[in-house]
Amino acid sequence: MTGRPFWKTCMPKLLVSLAAATAISSAAQAFEPESNDPIIIGTFNWSSAMINSEIAGIILQKLGYTVEYLPMDDSARYPGFEAGDATFALETWATTQKINLETSVATGKVLDLGETGMQAKEEWWYPIYMKEACPGLPNWEALKDPKCGEAFAAPETAPKGRYLSGPVDWGGGDVERVAALGLPFEVVNAGTDAGMFAELQAAYERKAPIMMWVYAPHWAPAKFEGEWVDFPDYEDACYTDPAWGGNPDATHDCGKPEGWIKKMGWAEGEKKWPCAYEVVRNFKMDNATIQPLIGAVDLDGKTVTEVAQGWVDANEAVWKPWAACAGL
Amino acid sequence: MTDKPAPTASVLPFPAAAPSNGLSAARAAAEPALSARNLWKVFGVEANAFAIEDGTAMPAAEMARRGWVAAIRDASIDVMPGEVFVIMGLSGSGKSTMIRCLTKLIEPTAGKVMFHGRDLIAMPEKELTEIRRTRMGMVFQNFALLPNRTVLGNIALPLEIQGIDRARREAKAMEMIELVGLKGRENRFPRELSGGQQQRVGIARSLAVDPEIWFLDEPFSALDPLIRSDLQDELQRLQKALAKTIVFITHDLDEAIKIADRIAIMEGGSVVQVATPEELVTRPANDYVARFVAKVPRAKVTRVRSLMAPATGSILSPDPVRAEATITEIGPILVSGTGPLPVVDEGGRMVGTLDRQAALAVLGGRAGAA
Amino acid sequence: MALAETGRMGGMGWRVAPTQMALMAAVLALAASPVLAGMLPAALVDYPKQAVIGLAAFTGSWLTWLAREAAIGPLRIAEITRGLANVVEAPIALLNTLFAEGIQAGRGDQVRTVVPPLSWLAGIGLAALLAHMVGGRQAGPKLVALIVVGLLYIVLFGFWTDAMFTLTNVIISAVAAIALGIWIGTKAVTHPRIAAPVEGLMNVMQTVPVFSYLVPTLLFLGYGPSAALVATVIYALPPMVHATMLGLRGVPPEVVEFGRMAGASPRALFWKIRLPVALPQLAIGINQTIMACLNMVVIASMIGAGGLGFLVLTALRKLDIGGALQAGIAIVVLAVILDRLSLAAARLAASGTRIRSTGIPHGRLALGWFALASIAALLLPAFQSWPKELTLTTAPFWNGLVSWINIHWFEPLDAFRSFTLIHIMNPVKAYLLDLPWTLVIALVMLGGWMAGGARLGLTVGAMALFIAATGFWDPAVTSVYLVGLGTLLSLIIGLPFGYVVSRRQSWRDAASLVLDTLQTLPTLVYLLPAVMVFRNGDFSALVAIVSYAIAPAVRYSMHAFAGVPAERLELAAMVGASRWQTFKWVRLPAAFPTLLLGLNQTIMLAIAMLVITALVGTRDLGQQVFIALSRAKPGDGIIAGLCVAAIALIADMCLKAWARRAAARNGVEA
Repeated sequence: MTGRPFWKTCMPKLLVSLAAATAISSAAQAFEPESNDPIIIGTFNWSSAMINSEIAGIILQKLGYTVEYLPMDDSARYPGFEAGDATFALETWATTQKINLETSVATGKVLDLGETGMQAKEEWWYPIYMKEACPGLPNWEALKDPKCGEAFAAPETAPKGRYLSGPVDWGGGDVERVAALGLPFEVVNAGTDAGMFAELQAAYERKAPIMMWVYAPHWAPAKFEGEWVDFPDYEDACYTDPAWGGNPDATHDCGKPEGWIKKMGWAEGEKKWPCAYEVVRNFKMDNATIQPLIGAVDLDGKTVTEVAQGWVDANEAVWKPWAACAGL
Repeated sequence: MTDKPAPTASVLPFPAAAPSNGLSAARAAAEPALSARNLWKVFGVEANAFAIEDGTAMPAAEMARRGWVAAIRDASIDVMPGEVFVIMGLSGSGKSTMIRCLTKLIEPTAGKVMFHGRDLIAMPEKELTEIRRTRMGMVFQNFALLPNRTVLGNIALPLEIQGIDRARREAKAMEMIELVGLKGRENRFPRELSGGQQQRVGIARSLAVDPEIWFLDEPFSALDPLIRSDLQDELQRLQKALAKTIVFITHDLDEAIKIADRIAIMEGGSVVQVATPEELVTRPANDYVARFVAKVPRAKVTRVRSLMAPATGSILSPDPVRAEATITEIGPILVSGTGPLPVVDEGGRMVGTLDRQAALAVLGGRAGAA
Repeated sequence: MALAETGRMGGMGWRVAPTQMALMAAVLALAASPVLAGMLPAALVDYPKQAVIGLAAFTGSWLTWLAREAAIGPLRIAEITRGLANVVEAPIALLNTLFAEGIQAGRGDQVRTVVPPLSWLAGIGLAALLAHMVGGRQAGPKLVALIVVGLLYIVLFGFWTDAMFTLTNVIISAVAAIALGIWIGTKAVTHPRIAAPVEGLMNVMQTVPVFSYLVPTLLFLGYGPSAALVATVIYALPPMVHATMLGLRGVPPEVVEFGRMAGASPRALFWKIRLPVALPQLAIGINQTIMACLNMVVIASMIGAGGLGFLVLTALRKLDIGGALQAGIAIVVLAVILDRLSLAAARLAASGTRIRSTGIPHGRLALGWFALASIAALLLPAFQSWPKELTLTTAPFWNGLVSWINIHWFEPLDAFRSFTLIHIMNPVKAYLLDLPWTLVIALVMLGGWMAGGARLGLTVGAMALFIAATGFWDPAVTSVYLVGLGTLLSLIIGLPFGYVVSRRQSWRDAASLVLDTLQTLPTLVYLLPAVMVFRNGDFSALVAIVSYAIAPAVRYSMHAFAGVPAERLELAAMVGASRWQTFKWVRLPAAFPTLLLGLNQTIMLAIAMLVITALVGTRDLGQQVFIALSRAKPGDGIIAGLCVAAIALIADMCLKAWARRAAARNGVEA
């Protein structure tokens, strides 16, 4: 490239702008961040995580922190947090990451920064048009009818119904659930999240039968009209004690647990940016708030930045108290 | 490389330093430009033991037992400055290995290779590199052109390797291109040239450094007969102008006879005879050579000088013949008149007379020994 | 011809006999396996759980120890590797600043870009000038047109900044892989003793799924561009090493002799002679390496590389298939541009001549254009980054198309899927899973022995035993079933297609373009539509495998049938052979060795897809690798990955040995 002339032409301008930028920032901000090192927020490839990350990022930037975003893999994030490659993650789901988070926190290098307030809901779900085929839904007992199973069948599972579970590593105990509750269903695992919802979208377009694992917060329940099956409420004993519940001889005779969604952070960083950690600890979000934001990104095609900025601008009263340590 | 002799071949060793090696008295007096003494190249398992155990005395059976194959056995030659020295042999005779030992492309197992009195084999790598860079040139059977470079780029490469700047090396390369008649094609790639043109590039490249000694390894074997003949003529033309010391490898006896001052015949790794073409035909050293040259017409190798009588006064003839011409070459003159012919040397001075009948007898004679 | 063939076969009859007997024994054993399984002791049918070696757990804890505690003197290993990672990141950061980010000042929400990155207007112009410069008079104009059209696509569809992030990562990793590959390949050629181990290691690196070493890479290098870079280089290195070895070995000995006679130093001999002469072969390696780097773009984006790969992932996450396709095509565009540019540049560098003068002062023009475009970009921001409102998109069309197929074509497609699944796939899978593991290992050894002798038989047997002993037998058998059916299907479709296409150059060119796209478009982009129609499960996995592995089947088939020596076909015509006779006796035997190599590549790519098939819900080794990743168990991931490599190596070694034999018998260069 043509390095020399590039600098020659731009250097004076650069100096002028630098001076201008410093002037603006010092005038506008009362709070002095503890460190100008960049705070790195790990983001993941689903929308709620990206929106929450950017909301937190925008708030921190307003306080004068330098913020960068780092795309990460949900499950492979931990070495990065333990080493300080990333500072915060806004979403850690109990339903998939509970053990990983606990293991990582146990190293002492990662902090559990508390629940966001969003609840991960996971359960068997069907589109609303399937209600006619299996009268009695959403009550789970309706599923026990073999006719109901047939209504949800695919050629290779017929006459049993086909239940699309999540990837094997999500667990979920659906095979045990089917056996314990005597449901005429066969469990088929999807490989990925994207694969699951691809199938849902296809079935929904054709108004074809489908029974599958859907979780929230997610765009799918917003886009597709449907219902969660109403299983007996989960309790810890249900998964461990056969005597619990309707089937005295089996565990898993209940629905799936609901779970927290937590924030996490790099332990070492708290010394560097104590106030930023305070803000993230205080960060709160709930399903009702995030769901329309997800819809705006996934269904209306808005950018994450637009949506996050919009929320921050409209909800100063909500987040200002989080930043009390900055004297706002 | 593939020239491995059949293990069963048994040949009389013929020391090259023997009296009858075709050298003229004048040349014999000079210092050889290149000479090989008792050269051996043995392939096989742990063949390096050969030198330590002095395998030169080892019986053939013992060598076979060890799985050793001698590609060169006890070969000695002298190449005189300015002569065209042809090493001739059929495939498997060891000629290819020989030229590679003479240039130390292959390390001989035993023996010496002297280049102007210095042993190439023993000298430090740096000195050898310097000699190869500036004093040797080599032409290869399959041209060995770099397909990625143009004609110009190929010819300039040896100079580039010497570290000569672009302007000078390209100017020199252009000179060479002109010399071999490829002007206008300097920006072509080898694949865009015919075989003959490619070898012209190979020749130009080997001459670019203006070497003292010029190695040609079957340079025309891969070409069509007509092109081959053209290039042989071209070589002779070049040699007349450049007067290099040439070591030329071929399996083609006609080619050898056409261009050689002297020929070394190789068989089974040994040098069987070193002689002028004429001597080879008239006095073959053994049956092998005799059978080899049996089909060669004597007239083609016999030179006027060897038939002429000393000058006896003046002869009235408009057609003097050159002493170095072969009888075949003067054929038209022989049959177009009567009486003895004057013989002149290169300078045009009369040196003797040729008896037309004796010459015609040679011309008419079929071939072979006298 | 036919006579000669039979004669030769008859001549070696005594050697065929034991092989044929062994083959018959194998067929018998396979047919009788259900009975056999009943007779054998249980431990010989299912590998006993107690005998599983805890290699995965050991590897995992060892890696964790190495990354967290191990130290050399006062420095922990991880600190050293991370230090190296920081060094690696410097050039990436520099390129990112130049191309994508610019220089920023200020802090918090007052951050402003004070020096913008290269504007698209300047970028396209500079790339075009570069293309013109390296392309020369002949190839230049075409290359310039390609680059301008390709980059305009990227600009108009709004991918410029993301494409620049991807570009910097790909450039650095491709340069690193190419340089390292040439270096390793050269060392392996000059030191014959290390050649075989290097080749073996490269085969393992090529077949171990990336996700296997993703966690260890993160452990040692930390999150960010350098981890993505290292993972990419590991994946992209092998083709460069193989090509370098092949290329250097193919330099005619005479050419090397010429170099020595010209007095070239070892360094000059390498740089001026051997390397440039090997270039056509190296070019294939460079091409494959760049393709491999771009293949990794999506995976690299998962661990911090960002760019186009992240766009593909987020689009897929919201099932915006059209959007993912658009971003995927931007990746393909980058692949094609980089490939053609690097080849032209390599050719130029090897030619040993000056850039052939086109009468255009490229340097001055570049400066002028850069200055002009930069000023234009400062005055009119649309030249800096294309306005969002003007961005083109075709995504709704693609999404609509997928929906349309889903609604109107579902019935026949689903009937086909159900039939295949119920009547072919499931029975084959059940049969294979029921085979006693001892029988399978015995058969693998037999196959190795038949293809390449006793030593090969023992080697492949040991690798099969490794799979059993580490406890991954069932997932491995499931993998073999998927790979086997996928390969078979790819061949059934690909070979005849390649044969037909091989007859005309124009057909071959068209087919090559399609195959290139199939190989560089991120797999997930076409896998998800497949899932919509075929649902999660083995059938979608099969579709994924076939769509990827069919490329080499077609490619090699084209190549093999186009390369049948003409005089043999003339001979067949002279003796009046019918079309079928010609095919059977002349074309097929001559093409056979190349076809075998094609089979080899088809299997390798099918195996490479295993990790993707896990994404649609199979229970094979790919799934094991994913589970290990999601549970952060690096040991399990590595061992499962090695099992994938073991399957690949078994197939590879046996087929290559077989191909060598077939080639020797037919007198055709494989």
